[in-house]
Amino acid sequence: MIEEPRGWWRSPWLSIRAQLALGVIFVAAAIPKIADPPSFAHMVYNYRLLPGPAINGLSIVLPWIEMLAGLALIVGFWKRTAAGLTAVLLLLFIGALSVNLARGNPVNCGCFDIKAKDKPRAEQLAEMRWTILRDVGFLALAAQVLSAGGRQRRRSG
Amino acid sequence: MVRLREAAMLVGVAIVCAAVSNAVASPERRLAWSGSYPNALTVPARASEAPTPMPAVPSVSSAASVEPARDYPPHPDRPWVSISGEEAVALHRRGILFLDARRTGVYLAGHIAGARSFPIWESTVDGAVKKLFEEGTDVNAPLVVYCSGGDCEDSHMLAQKLYGYGFNDVLVYADGFPDWEKRGLAIERGAPR
Repeated sequence: MIEEPRGWWRSPWLSIRAQLALGVIFVAAAIPKIADPPSFAHMVYNYRLLPGPAINGLSIVLPWIEMLAGLALIVGFWKRTAAGLTAVLLLLFIGALSVNLARGNPVNCGCFDIKAKDKPRAEQLAEMRWTILRDVGFLALAAQVLSAGGRQRRRSG
Repeated sequence: MVRLREAAMLVGVAIVCAAVSNAVASPERRLAWSGSYPNALTVPARASEAPTPMPAVPSVSSAASVEPARDYPPHPDRPWVSISGEEAVALHRRGILFLDARRTGVYLAGHIAGARSFPIWESTVDGAVKKLFEEGTDVNAPLVVYCSGGDCEDSHMLAQKLYGYGFNDVLVYADGFPDWEKRGLAIERGAPR
């Protein structure tokens, strides 16, 4: 086997940590939503992006996609697929927050905490900006797992 | 292609887990698969920090302009009419039925004395509305619905649902439970007696 030079971005040391961190983040995000689907549905409704009949179905299924993707990353099963799924979800979350930020509709993220918060509008909008930045960070973790995983696959194949 | 197949399988397993989880959940944590939210795509107007009613149906009264003792004729042309705190107090004294649209847990922690629980976000709400109708409740008599005040729309959603069942005189107490508490009026805790 020929050893190929690796940059820090694709190092196994970083990859395993990114994979575990992303997995734990998604499992932690899924637990409160699975425990209380009506509260999560309320959060989804507040985004004003989905037609009424789709809100409940999405609110029931989405947390389980997060949970399974997170668990797959933690145990290292189908990790590139799971990382890909988390990346798609993160892009959707970033898009949903950005649209509402652009139209000045403050929403509680509903990411890790699904209890309604009564905060001033300006504070909620500022929080949304930080949440988008945080999601971009999570997206970088997913990108790391995807790129490092691809390298490993080619090397072992 | 392999990744897509794996992703589809993960999503498929997620749907099965979600269906099982929702089926075994307690009634207050269960969600109907398809909900009815007429204003799901309407962004609420927020000209100021003041509470804003749902935009589909404007209110016809305000705390300043309406006498608390006025009558409340049926209004079959619109799902609800907003009322002030003073009006809510007067109606409560007259023995008008109050419906609480908040979650069951919040209702149990404290609600307007005599109010019944109609948690709009829980799967039990349709059964509760149906039961109210089947009990022979007069559809042209006033019914007061409330939630948590502020930006809370749960009472408006419940009003819309009641209107769909044929209730023609639903009154939304927009300032809701926080206003009632602030006035130091009668509150009950726990399940209704």
